[in-house]
Amino acid sequence: MALLTYGTEEWEKAYQELVKERQATQPKPYIMGTPEWVAQYEELVQNDAEYKEAAKDWEGSVVIKILAKPEIGLDSDLYMFMDLWHGDCRFIRIVPPEVGESGDYVISGEYERWKSVMAKELDTVKAMMQGKLKLKGDLPSIVRAVKAASRLVDLSASTEPRFPDELSPEEIEDLRKLLRDAKEKFGI
Amino acid sequence: MADINLGPGAEEVPLAGMLAEMLMSNLEKPEKKRDFEKLKARVLIHAVDAEAKITMDFDRGKLTVYGGEVGKPDIAIATDSTTLLELANLKIKYGLPWYFDETGMAVVKKLLKGDLKIKGLFTKLGPLTRLTKIMSLS
Repeated sequence: MALLTYGTEEWEKAYQELVKERQATQPKPYIMGTPEWVAQYEELVQNDAEYKEAAKDWEGSVVIKILAKPEIGLDSDLYMFMDLWHGDCRFIRIVPPEVGESGDYVISGEYERWKSVMAKELDTVKAMMQGKLKLKGDLPSIVRAVKAASRLVDLSASTEPRFPDELSPEEIEDLRKLLRDAKEKFGI
Repeated sequence: MADINLGPGAEEVPLAGMLAEMLMSNLEKPEKKRDFEKLKARVLIHAVDAEAKITMDFDRGKLTVYGGEVGKPDIAIATDSTTLLELANLKIKYGLPWYFDETGMAVVKKLLKGDLKIKGLFTKLGPLTRLTKIMSLS
């Protein structure tokens, strides 16, 4: 499998094909962190009036970095890149690590923390104050947009995803294979 | 660069580093630096839901941030972590915190409901106003 270069038309086309194929074949609710789940989340954000209003002054990309946890199929860190601009969500993609690390704001944490956030058991701001999530980027800008950030989290929770640690051993292996193949093809 | 230091215990409370970082950025503005240089007060911040407490000791142009409660505070602010950050979004108009827009009204509402508790609200109004101006991102 040839590695495609992120940012090219070829990469984007192949990524979209993967999403389309998986949305057609995978049962809902989707598994958190998979391309089909990310696409579902992207659509929610793009169509959410509350987010648009709260984020009307926002500029810059936000990256959710989920640290690797091999026992649930996450062999490498996963980077979910959100290209956000003045209330618009241009796209959300799983991206290669070097692209993820170059985001304007990178929020990283263990899988369990993100699971708690997406299950609405843990508030993002509280998690940052407790050091459970770490922010790389300009803190004052995030604070100015605290309502928009909260809305993004609410929307992720509203997808009610299946979580990798709740999958059967066979499903975990399927997830591992999906992510391994995606790494080989997309560098993600 | 503003004279801000992390004191004992601050490393163990991530909130301390967050607020110090915010202040460092704010104090690049000369009008905030002027208030910073006049402020002398010990401020306790308690993010109740995060179970995080820090003490900020302002000493006319110097700030030391400690983890936990250190000494007797002149001002004590207790609220949830999101509200705490929202306080930084209070606008400053005519040199004073502005409570008549959406953000300001939300803060007043939380005060009235008891979701935001401020010790020193009336007795330390001068230092509290300075603190709000320094912390405000506007």
